[in-house]
Amino acid sequence: MIYTEICKLLNIKYPIFQGGMAQISDAKLAAAVSEAGGLGVIASGNSPPALVKSEIHKIRELTDKPFGVNVMLLSPHVEEVSQLLVEEKVPVIITGAGNPGKYMRIWKEAGIKVVPVVPSVAFAKHFEKLGADAIICEGTEAGGHVGEITTMCITPQVVDAVKIPVVAAGGIGDGRGIAAAFCLGAKGVQVGTRFILAKECRVHQNYKDKVIKANDTATVVTGRKTGHPVRVLKNRLANQFRELEKNNASVEEMEELGRGKLYQAAVLGDVVYGSVMSGQIAGLLSKEQSCKEIIVEMFEEAEKIMKNLAGGNNE
Amino acid sequence: MILEKVKEILVEELDVEEESITLDSKIKEDLGADSLDLFELISRIEDELDVTIDEDDYGKLITVGNLVDYLTEKNK
Repeated sequence: MIYTEICKLLNIKYPIFQGGMAQISDAKLAAAVSEAGGLGVIASGNSPPALVKSEIHKIRELTDKPFGVNVMLLSPHVEEVSQLLVEEKVPVIITGAGNPGKYMRIWKEAGIKVVPVVPSVAFAKHFEKLGADAIICEGTEAGGHVGEITTMCITPQVVDAVKIPVVAAGGIGDGRGIAAAFCLGAKGVQVGTRFILAKECRVHQNYKDKVIKANDTATVVTGRKTGHPVRVLKNRLANQFRELEKNNASVEEMEELGRGKLYQAAVLGDVVYGSVMSGQIAGLLSKEQSCKEIIVEMFEEAEKIMKNLAGGNNE
Repeated sequence: MILEKVKEILVEELDVEEESITLDSKIKEDLGADSLDLFELISRIEDELDVTIDEDDYGKLITVGNLVDYLTEKNK
């Protein structure tokens, strides 16, 4: 059994977070992950507070295990959602796409565990100072909003820079990925793309099929110029983005093209002109499983590898 | 003294010429810092000048002059 500081901190059985994926990670998926012993995470994305509230109530009906809510700091509703999470006293808040500094105090005062996603060492140190309970360092292998540094490089640097436990994210899709993350000093992992293929995940079947069909070179990062680059599976929308970039289109034009496209793919199933966000690890993934099967399989594999690393013949 | 230190950090962090930095230079628009760079800057300044820059004040630090004034005030 792999039991780490992250398990202790959050009172979970397996040190694995399900990535908060906008339009994808709802209460049902998060509840299934939490029930299986990981940390399920509801993505609040750009959702209005009423919707986030109903998802929180739903997950509380489905499980009594700890769960998290991901706050997307670029959301137009970020103020109200931050307040709502205090009122609802959610167990864990994960933050992404920005600086949660101004909300940190009210969340900590409410007794909520706060775990920001960071793209660099400077952010990690800063959030530790502000009272973060742990840090998720996310490499550019991840899907959706990404930074520049790889998981292999950012993880050990963040681990060395902070005293709080570090969760590695980006590029982790099986037990080998988990073992590698632990080798780099992480105390837990966050996995997004593999949970897209979870049976409990409500994303459109076309989206799942596209992830299953993806190979190692299937993703591309678009919109670097906007300051919020996004990793997606290549399709005609990605081509349109690349065309705009080639023609030096304005940030406004690019943001206009992106509007509503994740919904179009994840909910409506348009994987040709919709935005199919996915990590690079999609190429490794080929089957749909329940959350429980995913977690158990990943950790059994990781454990086996780590035993052998420790000198072999330990079985 | 503070200005020199700030200039030194800006030159190193943003790869700009020292001559191109004036008190009116906007850190983002003129010196080309993105949000990650800004963070590196702030954490280096905090470490090297032994100050804490409050989150709520980040928005006020648009130009090099704003930053220098802010740090001078803090150092009083």
